Amino acid sequence: MTVALTKSITLEQAKLFVEYLENDQQDKADALMAEIQNPINSDLFAEIGKLTRQLHDSLMNFQLDSRLNDLATADIPDAKERLNYVISRTEEAANKTMDAVESIFPAVDSIQEQLQLVEPDWQKLMSNKIDLNEFKGLCHHIDKLLKMTGKESINIHSLMTEVLMAQDFQDLTGQVIRKVIDLVREVEESLISMLTAFGITEDMLSSAQDKTTKSKPKVGENLVEGPIMNKEERDDVAVDQDDVDDLLSSLGF
Amino acid sequence: MFSSEGALDKNMKVLVVDDFSTMRRIVKNLLRDLGFTNISEADDGSTALPMLQGGDFDFVVTDWNMPGMQGIDLLKAIRADESLAHLPVLLITAEAKKEQIVMAAQAGVNGYIVKPFTAATLKTKLDKIFERLG
Repeated sequence: MTVALTKSITLEQAKLFVEYLENDQQDKADALMAEIQNPINSDLFAEIGKLTRQLHDSLMNFQLDSRLNDLATADIPDAKERLNYVISRTEEAANKTMDAVESIFPAVDSIQEQLQLVEPDWQKLMSNKIDLNEFKGLCHHIDKLLKMTGKESINIHSLMTEVLMAQDFQDLTGQVIRKVIDLVREVEESLISMLTAFGITEDMLSSAQDKTTKSKPKVGENLVEGPIMNKEERDDVAVDQDDVDDLLSSLGF
Repeated sequence: MFSSEGALDKNMKVLVVDDFSTMRRIVKNLLRDLGFTNISEADDGSTALPMLQGGDFDFVVTDWNMPGMQGIDLLKAIRADESLAHLPVLLITAEAKKEQIVMAAQAGVNGYIVKPFTAATLKTKLDKIFERLG
């Protein structure tokens, strides 16, 4: 501070003030008067000026950080598309698998039916109680069974291969989900550095994080949460069907 | 494959409510394996309710978390409707909070199965529901 607070005006300042006025330097006279009236302000203004410049530079840097822009305009929409791809691939795989299984059911059922036709006469044959006509009938049934089993086993084998191949979704969706996880991590880091730039310290961040990890995920107004990932760490959820049954029976079910 | 015994009427009309077509398909296949043949589908509570009011359904299997009307609200609507109140309702859901299970019990659910579930669990719960209804 250049001007002592105890004095309101110095002789030098007064002389200078008169000189400005005599020379028609109104601007300088006004500025001097303001300085005399409130000497602290000049320092305060300097400080504000510095802060304004810093803020301006920070904002400019944010604009220059094109990665943030890319994240918002390209990467996140891309991630949404990727996750939709996961939904459609898993749905497709589930349907392909069920198509195959639904075709296997009748194939197995028809073999079983044919077996039941063979069974009674076969038992008679095994205990030597079969007559010629029954034996002829048995031969026909067995002939049909052999042919059908041969045909259906080839059919079932190729259907099983379809079930096997439908599981390739796990690899494909796994890769896609891993990319989205990377993106989420990058967004998280960008958000943290933005908060840091605005003066929020890491201590504040980590203490906030502690609170969130300790608190349970919030349930929407409809109470739904979906599948629970960390059942063992929570005491407000049923771990499995037995747990559900125990709870219901304690309620008189 | 299951062989279901007992006096369970396999011709009863069943409505399967789930927003995921694959889950409806799984439940339908399991029910078919248990001998049920008369099965219809709806993709949420608000589609299911008019179907129930219009048709002579005997049994409802529903998910909880669905867009539109949720399973718990469908259950409450069924219990609040005099012509439907008697319908047995089985919830098959990923929702496993104790609070929710208690809520479903209080709303009058007949059975509660958590996903992922097995064919054997479904059979046990169905037998239990209809045994109790007599």
